[in-house]
Amino acid sequence: MSQTLQEDTSIQINQCVVRLIRDDITDIEVDAFVYYAQHDLALGSGFGGAIAVRGGPSVQKELDEFDPLETGGAIVSGAGNLKADSIIHAVGPRFREEDIEGKLRTTMINALRRAEEKGFRRIAFPAMGAGYYGILPAVSAEVMLDVIKSHLEGETGISEVIICVFDTPQFNAFQSTMTNLN
Amino acid sequence: MSEKKQRSHKAEMVIERLGQKLNRQVVGSLAACVHCGMCTESCHYVLANPGDPTYAPAYKADKVRKLFKRHYDWTGRVFPWWVKAGSVFTDEELEELKDTVFGKCTNCRRCTLNCPMGVDFATFNRMTRGLLVSVGIQPEGVAVVSKDQWEIGNQMGVLKEDYLDTLEWMEEELQDELEDPGVTIPVDASDCDVLYAINPREVKYDPRSIADAAKIFHAAGEKWTMPSEGWDQTNFGLFSGDDALGGSVARRLYEKVIELNAGKLVISECGHGYRSTRCEGSNWAGFDVPFEMESSVLTMLRYIKEGRIKVDRSRNTQLVTFHDSCNNARSCGLFEEPRELLNLVCENFQEMYPNRAENYCCTGGGGAMSMSEYTPQRLKSGVIKADQLKETGAEVVVTSCHNCVDGLSDVIKHYEIDMEVTQLVNLVANALVIEEKVVVPVEEVPVAVTADEVPVAAALEALPLSGRVIVVADDEPDQVEFLATVLEDNGATVHRAGTGDEALELARREKPDLLTLDLHMPGRDVGEVFEMLREDPELEDLKICVITGRPELRRLIYDRSVRRPEGYLDKPVDEANLMLNVRKILELAHEEG
Repeated sequence: MSQTLQEDTSIQINQCVVRLIRDDITDIEVDAFVYYAQHDLALGSGFGGAIAVRGGPSVQKELDEFDPLETGGAIVSGAGNLKADSIIHAVGPRFREEDIEGKLRTTMINALRRAEEKGFRRIAFPAMGAGYYGILPAVSAEVMLDVIKSHLEGETGISEVIICVFDTPQFNAFQSTMTNLN
Repeated sequence: MSEKKQRSHKAEMVIERLGQKLNRQVVGSLAACVHCGMCTESCHYVLANPGDPTYAPAYKADKVRKLFKRHYDWTGRVFPWWVKAGSVFTDEELEELKDTVFGKCTNCRRCTLNCPMGVDFATFNRMTRGLLVSVGIQPEGVAVVSKDQWEIGNQMGVLKEDYLDTLEWMEEELQDELEDPGVTIPVDASDCDVLYAINPREVKYDPRSIADAAKIFHAAGEKWTMPSEGWDQTNFGLFSGDDALGGSVARRLYEKVIELNAGKLVISECGHGYRSTRCEGSNWAGFDVPFEMESSVLTMLRYIKEGRIKVDRSRNTQLVTFHDSCNNARSCGLFEEPRELLNLVCENFQEMYPNRAENYCCTGGGGAMSMSEYTPQRLKSGVIKADQLKETGAEVVVTSCHNCVDGLSDVIKHYEIDMEVTQLVNLVANALVIEEKVVVPVEEVPVAVTADEVPVAAALEALPLSGRVIVVADDEPDQVEFLATVLEDNGATVHRAGTGDEALELARREKPDLLTLDLHMPGRDVGEVFEMLREDPELEDLKICVITGRPELRRLIYDRSVRRPEGYLDKPVDEANLMLNVRKILELAHEEG
C-alpha cells in the first residue's frame, strides 16, 4: 500500500485517490454522491432540498418505492437532472445517539458496498453526520477515513473518493486527519 | 434501581451537556432569581394570557433552574426540596421542555431589562434550546431551517444559481427604472469599500429591498459588492441555541469579507442578523474579525449626513410609526439612528408606546415564524402588539428587521389592522433624489401622438402581460378581484377560480401561462390540486405562483415529490410586488433584454 499527501489535499491509497474539496456536493460531476438520508427517505431540507430542486421530482418518486431504512442502511437512486449519475442514500447516526462511531462505521461500510455493487468509480461523501446532525467534524473524519482506507486497501473498483465539505472547521478536521493518515 | 438507570439516553445527554454550557453569565442568572415577579408584567405572553402562570418568565426559568440546582449546585444536592431542585428522566419531559423554551418565549429579553437581579432569562432559554437541539428534540420548522443553513449556506435553502439570478434580475429592473445601463449589482468584486450581506428572505420574498439598497449604493457612488457565497447575514444558531451553527454561519461571512479584501461589512436591515454577525458570531466562531461591521441603517444615515445622497422627505407623506426590533434595540442599542434616518426621509413620524428598549416583541422573534405548531399562541400574544400599533393611528409601520416584517404582517392580518409594513431601505430609496441625465436629441424628432391617436391594438401590445393567460385561484373575492384587476390592467387575460377544483378545470381548459394559487381554499386539498397540476402532461409549461396569507401551509406544496412552484408571495401583496414577481416568473425581463 502507498499513500501520498499532495498539495491539493489528496492522498493515494493503492490505485485510488482520496481527495478533499470545498464545494456543493449536490452540484458536482461524479458517478454517485452520498446523501445522509432520513429513515423514511424523505429528501427534506438542506442537501435534500437541493436534490429535489436541481434533480427534479423523479428522485423522491423513486425513493417513495423503498421501505424505510434502519440506521446504517444504504440504498441507491437515480439523480434526476443533477450532474451526478446516482445518489447513495445512507442513514447514519444523529444527535448524540448511542454508539455514534460504531453506527457511522456501519453506514460507511454499507455506502461503499452499494458503490461497489453498482460499479461506481468516482464517488463523493459529505462530512458524514457533521453539521446539522451534530457529530464532531474530527469524529466524522476519523471514522470516515479509517473505513475508506480499509476499504480501498482491499479489492475495489473505485478509483476516486471525494470528500466534499462546506465549512472551514470541517475542512480543517479532514485535512488534519488525512495528513496523519499519510 | 438507580436514578441514572431510569433516565433516557437523551435526558442523560441533556444533563451532561448542561454542565458544559455553564459559564458565569448563565450561572449568575440561574442562581440569582428571587421570584419577585417583576418580570411577569413585562412579557407579552403573560399580558395576553393573564390567567395562565405557565407563561411567566420566572416559571419558565424554573423549569431549567431545577436541573441546574439538582445536578450542578450544592444547594440542590444538600436540600433539594428547599431549592426546588429536580431532574428530567424521559423523552416526554424533554418534549414538554421544548414546548416551553421554543413555544412560550421569543427570547425578546424584555423581562431581562425589568429584572432587578439582572437575570438574563433569554440567554439560558437559548442555552436550553441548544441542549434539546443537540439531542434532536426541536420543532420541525427549526429542524428544516437549521438543516438548510448548515448545508445550503442560508436559512431558506436558496440555491446559488437562484440567488445570482435574482441579483441579475434586480440589476435589470434597476437599469430600467433609472434608464441607465451602467447601474450594476457587483458580485465578488475585490478590494471594495463595502461588502453588502443580506437576509435570504430578500431573495425569496422581497427582492425589491435588494434593488432599493443597490439604488442607494449607486447614488452614493459607493464602491461595493455582494458575495456569491457566504452572503447570508442571518444566523439561525441564535434562535436554535446551536453555537456550532452560529459559529459556522458567521465564519462563512467573515471569511468572504477577508477573501474579497472588503473594507467594511454592511449588514442589511435584520435584527437577529445584525446581533449574530456583529455581536455574537465572533465569539461562537472563535474568530478575530479584522474589519468593521455596520448596520445598513447607519450606512444610509451616514450617506445623507456626508452629502453623498440627497433625499426628499416629501415623497414619503404617510403617517409612519417605528417598531424597534428586540435584537437591534434591546440587545444592540440601535435606538436613535433609525429615528434620525426616519425623520430625514418621512414627513410624518409618530412614536409608538412603549418604544426603544421597552418596546414589545413583534411576536416573530426567536425563530417563532418558523414554528407553525405554536402559531395560535403566538398570534394570541400578538394582541399586545396589535393594541400598540392601533394606538399610533399610523398608516405604515417601519421596522429594521425582516423577522419583524413577517411578525408584524401576521399580527396586522390577524387583528385586521389597516396598516402596511415597510423598512427604512424602502423609504430611503423612495425619497432618493437622483439627478436625471440630460438626453440631447441628435437627429430624429419623434412626432407627437395624442392618446386618442394611438391605435388600441398597439397600446395593448405595449402592455407587459399582453397575450398572457392567467388563472387567479383564491377563495377571497376581494383578493381575486385585486389580483385580476392588476393583471388585466397590464394586458393579461384573466380567469377567476374560487376553489381548487375550479382552478384545475380552468387550467386544463384555458392552458394558462400562469396560475396564482392560494393555499387555503374550500373543497379539494390545495396540495393535491398542486400535484395534479404538476402531473398533467398537458400543463408542463404552466408556471405556478403561490400567494398565501398562511405561510405555515407551505409544506402542503413543498413536501410533494413534484416540481416546486416557480414563485411564492406572502399576502398582503401590493401591485408593484405582484407585477415584479409575475414578470420574473414569466421571464419577461429576460426576453425583453
